[in-house]
Amino acid sequence: MNFMGSNKELLLIHAGMKRVFLSHSINVMLTPQYYTLKKEELPVKYLYQAKKIAPSLFDGLLEEVGSYEYLVYKEGEKWVFIAYNPGQIRSLLLSKGINPEQVGKIFFAQQAVEHFKAPVLLGENEALVTLDNTVVVVPQAALDEEVKPIRFTNNFTPKTGITLQGSYGSLLSMKQAIALASVFLLFAGMFFIEGARYAKGSTATIEELQELQEAYPSLQSKIQRESIADKYRSIDSKERRKREIIKSFSGLIFKGATLTSLLVNDKGVKAEFSCSDEKVAKHLMQLAKKEKFSKVKSIGSNTVQIEGVL
Amino acid sequence: MSLKKYQNELIALLTLLLMVTALFYKSVQVSSGAKQAAEREQLVNEFKEIVTLKRVWADKKISKKLDKLKELTPASKVKWSKKGKKLTATYTGLSASELNKLTTKIMNLAVQIELLDIQKNGSSYTMEFKCKW
Repeated sequence: MNFMGSNKELLLIHAGMKRVFLSHSINVMLTPQYYTLKKEELPVKYLYQAKKIAPSLFDGLLEEVGSYEYLVYKEGEKWVFIAYNPGQIRSLLLSKGINPEQVGKIFFAQQAVEHFKAPVLLGENEALVTLDNTVVVVPQAALDEEVKPIRFTNNFTPKTGITLQGSYGSLLSMKQAIALASVFLLFAGMFFIEGARYAKGSTATIEELQELQEAYPSLQSKIQRESIADKYRSIDSKERRKREIIKSFSGLIFKGATLTSLLVNDKGVKAEFSCSDEKVAKHLMQLAKKEKFSKVKSIGSNTVQIEGVL
Repeated sequence: MSLKKYQNELIALLTLLLMVTALFYKSVQVSSGAKQAAEREQLVNEFKEIVTLKRVWADKKISKKLDKLKELTPASKVKWSKKGKKLTATYTGLSASELNKLTTKIMNLAVQIELLDIQKNGSSYTMEFKCKW
């Protein structure tokens, strides 16, 4: 059972093969003509470390046309480095009549080295054989006649392969897509966290409200709260007004003007001032008018009556 | 195959959609959170206002505070009647300074003034004061 999902037909691609016509998707395996191999014993432990140094190992070995990517894996004590040119592979596939879209995974012959126990013939002139645990292309004339060639089958399919990311007219490369996706995911995470924090609300206000509700349970009902508030607001405004008026009357007492009566009740206020002469009375009336009392009138020559409403 | 063709764009697009959704979620939470916070704050302010008003106008110690009005003038000048939460006080023969003291004190007491009647008789004053609390 293949859990890697590579149960498609495996096609061996080599220089001498004829064009094919496919109506289904396949996996392909490339012969050593289309990759560059290096095996090294390196003092590195992890794959990511080996992948990092891969480009430097091929310095001067690769053609400078196009960009290269690297497949790295461990084979016994050695690290195997395979350098390949995705552009070149794409062109090769097209030249053999294979649309890159039809290709699921691409493998390299070296990955299936354990299966090349006998030569695999490539057309009429060449063959794939294993020399020093490396898969190479040799002329068929060089093969030992006693060794029978084997057929290339799906059993050669290795566990891991590569895909030609972004090779199907894609606008973004895989790296670009991952970079963009990472940025978007980062922002999405930030927005979700911020949103969740706003959803919780300000704990300070919530706690204060809870404390108030516990301390004054009678105010929990909105109707009761409004009724109490209306009652005390009305008292507060009325009583403040009464005191303001009394205060303003005290401001009207000056030399020559004496308060002779003051009446304050729920209906309003009424005061009478006795003035020493007409001039004082006139001045008092002017001051009272400035205070905006509803009625300011003179009773007799030196008496001023002032009325106000609440 | 067509999906595979644009898999990189799809990855970017899906994560972009996720980000937009998160942004929308955040903005909804911000607006609703702000509304709820404003409502809570208004409620807290209402509570505080009522508590303050009650503390002022339903002061349990006001009865004792009112008794000090009796002490501001000699007992002979005041007729004092306090029943339940109502007070009627009649002052006679008050000097101007006594009247000033009394009115200042009354103005600073959190009671509902029902009547304040001041009359000048010659050089002295009479004052009738009715209040409730």
